[in-house]
Amino acid sequence: MCSALILASLSFKKGGDILCNPAALKEKAGKSLEPYKYDSSELTRILYKKKESVKEVEVPLFIGEKYMFVFEMEALPKRVEVEIYNRDKDSKKRKLLFSSKGKTDLTEFQCEISKMRTVYVDYIVPASDESAQTGCALFVLGYKLK
Amino acid sequence: MKVAIASIGLLFASMAFTSCSSPEAEAEKQETTDSIPSADTVVEEMKTSYNLPSALQIASAFKRSGGTFLSNVTNDKASVSRYNTNTYKKAVNFGIYSADLAYCLSNKKYQESKEYLKACKDMGSYLGLDKAFESDRMAERFESNISNEDSLIRIVTHLQLKTDLMFEENRQEEVKVLALVGAWTESLYIAAETYNKDKSKKVGAALLDQLLFSNTMLKAIQATENSEPEVKSLALSIETLQKQVMAIPSLASAIEQDENADFSTLTISETELDPLLGSIRSLRNDMVK
Repeated sequence: MCSALILASLSFKKGGDILCNPAALKEKAGKSLEPYKYDSSELTRILYKKKESVKEVEVPLFIGEKYMFVFEMEALPKRVEVEIYNRDKDSKKRKLLFSSKGKTDLTEFQCEISKMRTVYVDYIVPASDESAQTGCALFVLGYKLK
Repeated sequence: MKVAIASIGLLFASMAFTSCSSPEAEAEKQETTDSIPSADTVVEEMKTSYNLPSALQIASAFKRSGGTFLSNVTNDKASVSRYNTNTYKKAVNFGIYSADLAYCLSNKKYQESKEYLKACKDMGSYLGLDKAFESDRMAERFESNISNEDSLIRIVTHLQLKTDLMFEENRQEEVKVLALVGAWTESLYIAAETYNKDKSKKVGAALLDQLLFSNTMLKAIQATENSEPEVKSLALSIETLQKQVMAIPSLASAIEQDENADFSTLTISETELDPLLGSIRSLRNDMVK
């Protein structure tokens, strides 16, 4: 019995996965949206692989509005960078609109976007030797009239 | 021995964390906070996702075009029970009524807004979204703020957040996509009927702005990999709409030169627009019949 309990606790500890709580992440991000109005949110479940990978989210926008993305990244066991582009990842010529590289606090950050019809949010997932390591990233999108 | 005690402590701590809630919430929590989904499921998640706009945002953007409010363009509130058939009908019409609510709210039609809020609540109950509508005394707060637009928008925005959360918790991604496509379709229909009445360039430009969302709407539907006939038919209709949009030479040329071009300067003839308006009506009427 004792051995079973120890084994269970050790296996929990070995995974190192951070629990993903969408409600808590959204609530936290929502507080940073003001004065923008909440429009939508996107929870992205991240799987770390042996090679670096990219998870993309396509976000259509209205050209006449201003937007705020608030990213919550605390539910990730390893740092994931965020880049926002004007075209999808298969496009040869695309412009980088925002990058999280260089930011010291990567648990929460914001990005304002305007005059765009579509943007592409790329999560750059680093390689990991640990198998089945997962986490989640969330952004909430707010808008306001220009 | 110390390691054993620490491990047992960690185990009980984890059990305490997961048990600090009611039995019903426990089942949900297990679903939402499970940190180790199967590898097959998670690999699928690495495909591109699509974040679609809310009905409130579309209505807010359209309001700026200055179009006339049309009282007879929204869907009949009395038809709610008619849509309690399959998931497709429930989802798209939940979206349609949410667009009607947003339209009335942005035009300061507060009594109508209250009635459409009820329609959304009824449709929401068919989709298991009751908790979102019953939370935070929403109905009472709506009533007590009935003539305050800012407060009403805040309440409806909060409701939007709650329903998004419930879609996530219930793993109803497909339903959410269909609801948002329904909302977009109704907003398109409202814009099309308004343009038909006003013939205003600004309204026309706002309609084109909304139409350009067809690309992402189509991809979002296709990503659900739902092979039901109604969803396949919906995808086909949106594809047709998309082709009709890009068949307008001045529009296609403007986008090719600058994907962020301003459409208010474009001149598009009635002949070019008529097929589009017809397709929009057909798509919307198919959903509400």
